[in-house]
Amino acid sequence: MKQIYKWVCRLSQVSGMVAALLMVVSVFVVCQMIFVRAVLGESSIWQTEFVTYALVAATFLGAPYILLTKGHVNVDLLPLFLSHKARVALAWVASIASLTFCLLFLYSALHWWYEAWNLDLTTPSIWRARLWIPYLSVPVGMTLLCLQYVVDIWALATGRDMPFGMDPSKQKEMA
Amino acid sequence: MTPLALGGVIFAVALILLATGMPIAFALGSTALIFMLWTDGFDAVMYMADTVFAGLDDFTLASIPMFIIMGAAVASSRAGSDLYEALNRWLYKVPGSLVISNIGACALFSALTGSSPATCAAIGKMGIPEMRRRGYAADLATGSIAAGGTLGILIPPSVTMILYGIASETSIGRLFIAGILPGLMLTGLFIAWALFLSWRRGTTKVSADVYYSWAQRFELLPRLLPLLGVIIGVIYALYGGIATPSEAAGVGAALCLIMVIVIYRMWHWTAIWTIVRDAIRESGMLLLIIGMSVLFSYAMSSSLVTQSIAEAIAEMEVNRWILLALINVLLLVLGCFLPPAAIILMTTPIILPVITAAGFDPIWFGVVLTINMELGLITPPVGLNLFVINGITPDVSLTTILRGAFPFMMCMVISIVLLCFFPEIATWLPTAMMG
Repeated sequence: MKQIYKWVCRLSQVSGMVAALLMVVSVFVVCQMIFVRAVLGESSIWQTEFVTYALVAATFLGAPYILLTKGHVNVDLLPLFLSHKARVALAWVASIASLTFCLLFLYSALHWWYEAWNLDLTTPSIWRARLWIPYLSVPVGMTLLCLQYVVDIWALATGRDMPFGMDPSKQKEMA
Repeated sequence: MTPLALGGVIFAVALILLATGMPIAFALGSTALIFMLWTDGFDAVMYMADTVFAGLDDFTLASIPMFIIMGAAVASSRAGSDLYEALNRWLYKVPGSLVISNIGACALFSALTGSSPATCAAIGKMGIPEMRRRGYAADLATGSIAAGGTLGILIPPSVTMILYGIASETSIGRLFIAGILPGLMLTGLFIAWALFLSWRRGTTKVSADVYYSWAQRFELLPRLLPLLGVIIGVIYALYGGIATPSEAAGVGAALCLIMVIVIYRMWHWTAIWTIVRDAIRESGMLLLIIGMSVLFSYAMSSSLVTQSIAEAIAEMEVNRWILLALINVLLLVLGCFLPPAAIILMTTPIILPVITAAGFDPIWFGVVLTINMELGLITPPVGLNLFVINGITPDVSLTTILRGAFPFMMCMVISIVLLCFFPEIATWLPTAMMG
């Protein structure tokens, strides 16, 4: 299981890097679009759609990396006031609930992506981009996110990870 | 069950799920899914991905990651320290200059990053130790930075205002301009209080042993002026209608990224990765919350909850100022527990029709709401800025930081009251510039 844990974490990291790359590429595509329109006087064809889809893809592909680095913001008010034991129990509830939601979302995304691929749907613009390509980021991102949740739960169960990343000796100062 | 009762149940379920500590995005998504399953059966699962993707498929949203990259680039460089140092060198002869430098640097850095915790961290790292070294009490040193950092979401560009603009379908450019005068007013109030307190405590004296030559004063400007120039350019492009928010932010992000790499010599792979990593963490987290809030809003409006709450409030026929006060109290309470993004996305669809029906300007309300959200950043139990400051100065207790920040919170309340009496503070500039 240790090996699987390492591999999933590495996959999430790679996914995060791809997401970051998509973001940087989007920045320069926006600049290129303005150059084409303002300086060359031509109309932009693919840039707006590309940037929008790249950023949505970055959101889903970045999600497992954000989970790995504990970056998904949450309300940690209740855990802060609880004892370590109760925190562990609450972290279990939170993780299982999140995993259940992500699995259902993945199921929905797979079905939706398959439909776009099967019907060879394209965007209504002149670019006529094949929709299954940007859509693919959703099931891929959600699969990795579910895997990251599974290994996170394992890390919580084996004590490798502290619930909500909180030090067991610390309880909130301001009650 | 009536739509109103259903709305109550939906909010209760959302709060319970949020309290478990699960990510806000998934808590909102799960709440929506529970109610969609209840009303539509398992078919609801099938259109989840489509609804979320359609909600995110909007070029306006691209402005969020672009402004975040711009802020992350500036925040990861030494621009914050330089800004603080430059102000300090120029103002060191003025009594209480340290306080003015600290809060002034917060206001300027806010314009560069649009992020409150980033402002707190960047200016606080330099400002707090320097203030304490020069005899300022820990409560004033930490409280002024905790409050000064909140200016990040009011002074443009501001991600919070973009979120409100998207949720309320109001002009983001107009919102940005509307935030300028209130931002300056709040900065003035913060400085006035800090100067008053340090004068009363006798710490405004100019240190005789400090001296900066003209060469030293000019030394830092070549590094800072290009960055400030980009921000002014971005805001000008927005106001002049030359570019959309996403386009202006995209060019701003590219320029800031290149400038930071060139000026601060951050061309090493690890330095660039730090910038894009911070950007993807913040942007991905926010966009996922936005995507899931689309699902949440869909569940609320398809069961007529949004419309029923707005109608019920309108039927109450209370005085519009009482209504506004009640809304502000509600936002303040929510701000103590939830981050601004979640509050804006969850409540704007309900509050906005009520606000406009009562005759309030939605742009003006955006400014009031943003100041309210600023308060949430320094109020316990989950005031983000308090924890950022606590991380910088672990020897100062949270209670001391909070004691220091409290008078600054009152300054924010005063500015909300001033905005209610004189709405022109927010509405005059956008009308004068954009018509």
